[in-house]
Amino acid sequence: MSRVIRTAVLAVLGLFWLLPVYLLLVNAAKSPEAFTTKESWLPTDFSLFGNIAEAMRLSGLAESAASTLLYAVVSPAIAVLVGAAAGFAIVALRLKHGFAWFVAIFGGTVFPLQMILLPLFDAYSRTGLFDTQAGMIAVYTAISIPFSAFVMRNFFSGIAHNVFEAAVIDGASTWRIFARVYLPMASSALVAIFILQATFIWNDFLLGLVLSQSDTVRPIVTSLAGMQSTYGGAQMSTVLAGGLLVSLPTVVLFLFTQKFFARGLALGQY
Amino acid sequence: MRSKRIPLTIAAAAAASLVLASCGGGADDDGATTGTLDFYTNKAAWEPDFDELNATSESGADITLNTTGYSDADQYDAFIKQSFRTDKSPGLFTWQTGPSLTELVDEGLIAQTTDIWTKAVDEGWVSEDLRDSYTFDGEQYCVPMNIAYWVMYYNKNIFEEQGLEEPTTWAELDAIASQLSDAGITPYYQTSTLFTFQWFQQLVAGTDPELYNGLATGEVKYTDPEIVDIMNTWLDQEEAGWFSDAGSTVDPAVGLKQGDFAMINFGSFFNGSLDGAGMVSGEDYDMFVIPAVNGDLEKTPVAVESGPLCVAENSSQKTLGLTYSEWWMSPDAQTAWSEARGDVAFNPQATVADPMLEDLGTTVSGDGYELYDRYYEATPTPILTVALEQFGAFIANPSDPLPYLEAIQAEADDYWADQG
Amino acid sequence: MTTDKTLSPQALRQRDQYRWSALGFIAPGVLVVAVLLYLPLLWTTFLSLTEYNGLGDPEWIGIANYVEMFDDPGFIGSVLNTLLWVGGTLLVPVGIGLGVALLTWNLKGGTWLRLPFLIPYALSGIGVGVIWSFILSGGGALDQALAAFGVDDTPRWLVDAPLNTVVMILATAWQGVGVNALLFTIGLQSIPREPLEAARMDGANGMRLFRSILWPMLRPLTAVVVGLSIVASLKTFDIVQGMTKGGPGRDSETLALTMYKETFVNSDYGLGSAIAVFLTVVTLIASILYLRQQLSSKHGV
Repeated sequence: MSRVIRTAVLAVLGLFWLLPVYLLLVNAAKSPEAFTTKESWLPTDFSLFGNIAEAMRLSGLAESAASTLLYAVVSPAIAVLVGAAAGFAIVALRLKHGFAWFVAIFGGTVFPLQMILLPLFDAYSRTGLFDTQAGMIAVYTAISIPFSAFVMRNFFSGIAHNVFEAAVIDGASTWRIFARVYLPMASSALVAIFILQATFIWNDFLLGLVLSQSDTVRPIVTSLAGMQSTYGGAQMSTVLAGGLLVSLPTVVLFLFTQKFFARGLALGQY
Repeated sequence: MRSKRIPLTIAAAAAASLVLASCGGGADDDGATTGTLDFYTNKAAWEPDFDELNATSESGADITLNTTGYSDADQYDAFIKQSFRTDKSPGLFTWQTGPSLTELVDEGLIAQTTDIWTKAVDEGWVSEDLRDSYTFDGEQYCVPMNIAYWVMYYNKNIFEEQGLEEPTTWAELDAIASQLSDAGITPYYQTSTLFTFQWFQQLVAGTDPELYNGLATGEVKYTDPEIVDIMNTWLDQEEAGWFSDAGSTVDPAVGLKQGDFAMINFGSFFNGSLDGAGMVSGEDYDMFVIPAVNGDLEKTPVAVESGPLCVAENSSQKTLGLTYSEWWMSPDAQTAWSEARGDVAFNPQATVADPMLEDLGTTVSGDGYELYDRYYEATPTPILTVALEQFGAFIANPSDPLPYLEAIQAEADDYWADQG
Repeated sequence: MTTDKTLSPQALRQRDQYRWSALGFIAPGVLVVAVLLYLPLLWTTFLSLTEYNGLGDPEWIGIANYVEMFDDPGFIGSVLNTLLWVGGTLLVPVGIGLGVALLTWNLKGGTWLRLPFLIPYALSGIGVGVIWSFILSGGGALDQALAAFGVDDTPRWLVDAPLNTVVMILATAWQGVGVNALLFTIGLQSIPREPLEAARMDGANGMRLFRSILWPMLRPLTAVVVGLSIVASLKTFDIVQGMTKGGPGRDSETLALTMYKETFVNSDYGLGSAIAVFLTVVTLIASILYLRQQLSSKHGV
């Protein structure tokens, strides 16, 4: 297909994809007093900043921002490395029963999260991890590892094994081969895992709800969700404005990491 | 070989954790009567209001609430139940009346509040009626946090345009609905998810309160002819187009504002949402107590929802929690709370900020009215779950009600057989 | 495992040499997952054999919960809805994701053209849930848009089954396509230049290039995307709970919703856990069957 057609198809589909985002922006900007659902597509007034301020006041999410940032950076960073190490062990070091070990890690993702909430709460409150940042980092790391290990295992399997053998002949230790040869080759996969998991953690509601209580430990979305209920609280446009505000960091993260995925372009040009 | 050892290790560790889990929870009461009290609530949206109340409670009782709100009611219930087993056993938490409170009291998990109630009733801080919902085997547990009457809100502008007055009889209400419908205005709000029970509750209790109570205790079957008749009345109204689009997910307050429907049966905490949506109390919207279906009833039944404030028996903050509960019942506390929250107060001596709510409180405590527990709290949970689903299915596709009622009754039969 | 049979004696010796360091590399991942995820899961498995309402102590009742689970007429409906989710998720977000990745591959500005598909994933679930209920509500944004084109008689998107499940799958696809496209892109980037150039010299292009080179070489990342999609779709919960709560009636209920309802709404922890265990076993078997075939050595691991 010619470049022009490809660009055109992507542009049209992309615009279509952004329609709900447009709705989000337009409706988050409507003032609660003037808000109706009769003409969802038309902007009426611009009260976005007032709505954002109201959302911050009602949810107290400003207090959660620092700790959520901590979780969303530290946990995926650890998970990426741990997952890469597991992938390296299975693929490059040809760990015996590699598939079984892989399933042991991957199995951490097959059951619904809701089922382990109560036992986790019980265990956390007994071990003093409840309502601590360390506890939150630990659980977020754990749930990020299976995905990370899966992607890295498969990414490494695309690297020819003679890369490893050549490094061995050069006399490198396994640790050195991992850190200096395999990790750098996988930078785009590492970044992809990191941003996807960071976004997932940044947007987590459930674990934060059950495993934390104080404003400084609770993640941001758990705080935000608290302002909306049958028993009164925030209006729709306020909720949307809050959702929009909370989404900004992750959208920016995606914007600024895209250059890592442009590498294929450089490699692929003839 | 090595990989086989993993399950073994895990199993051993699991066994250890089971032993841990079976140890009793809770902590010794530290006896403090002033300080910071950890408070858990499923009404997370009220957190700013509780924070606002702290100024009054600090001067009135020297207690500051440290509020943690849970926005998901189901998760909240599970969390509280689980916390009794740990040292996080709550010093103060919100709950529901009805079978779910009975369950906790039966397990001995809730601190008694009989002394607090005796004093409050003596002082005229609370009505005798309300005490019943908090009484188990002659003793009281918990104190009321909030109270809401389920009434009919209406869009005043629509009523004025149509020249309509608040109805005083069921026939008048029917006439209003039919006039609105003829004018192309949808009379009533409905939804097919979660809040699907109100109209059923209204029709049954308004026809015969005994019948309503019988459903809650299992003496009346959902398939009894009286109930089937009532459902057929509902079906006729559905077929007459009296109810809003079941597929609409519009926020009810916005729906009333933009005239998607003219009336909505909701709890009296709805004022806050309507005000927030930009409607003016008494000017854009008003409310009336729904007349009884059966005009021969001596008293008009009004559905009431009351959320208790409880203290865990095994909490380290038990004394602190009870001290706060006692202060909570006082007119000072209730006036401050009503101001912070903008809601009806259970304490008749408290001043209520919104005149519409003040009036409502006076009206329903008058002779012509009697309060009954909302269907949501009155019905045992497993039956409630099925009933909410079946009413939702009926609302989505109004048709012969019998299959829906049979499905609810099947669950009710199972439940009551288990209780046997 | 299959790998044992295909390795040369030399490779086996080499593997033995790295046995301990390989275990060292995999240990952190296995330990963290085991302690934080498997231990709680074991507790759930134990609960599935008991009657427990969250208070007091669980009472051992054997497999009664499993019997009750299969007896429930609504259970079959949940299973069917869940299967619809699996099929729909494999078809729509995976298909469109692959399409976007292929279209942007080696395209000037491709990175930026891919961005509109990634933004929905970056948006917070709270805003997204509200927006989709705006769109799909009766008289909502979609109906308004259709009315502008003269279509007035629209179906009740969230009320009529199985339409409600289908539109929710599409809403999920909206958020998931970008992630799949990103993973496929990584796969495309790891394809070495030589075979590609060779194929191009032979005049392979378009469909032929895709079938002969790209698709086989994408296999590792296809396995990731498909594997994760199977797992995620079997666990579908958030969007259904947010939009229809499984209703009307139980028409759009998935297994995860049934599990949630029994556990958290009805406080029947035993039955809820039994459904969770069933769901876990099904998901595990499905993943192992799929992944073992995809990851086995004959495909060049």
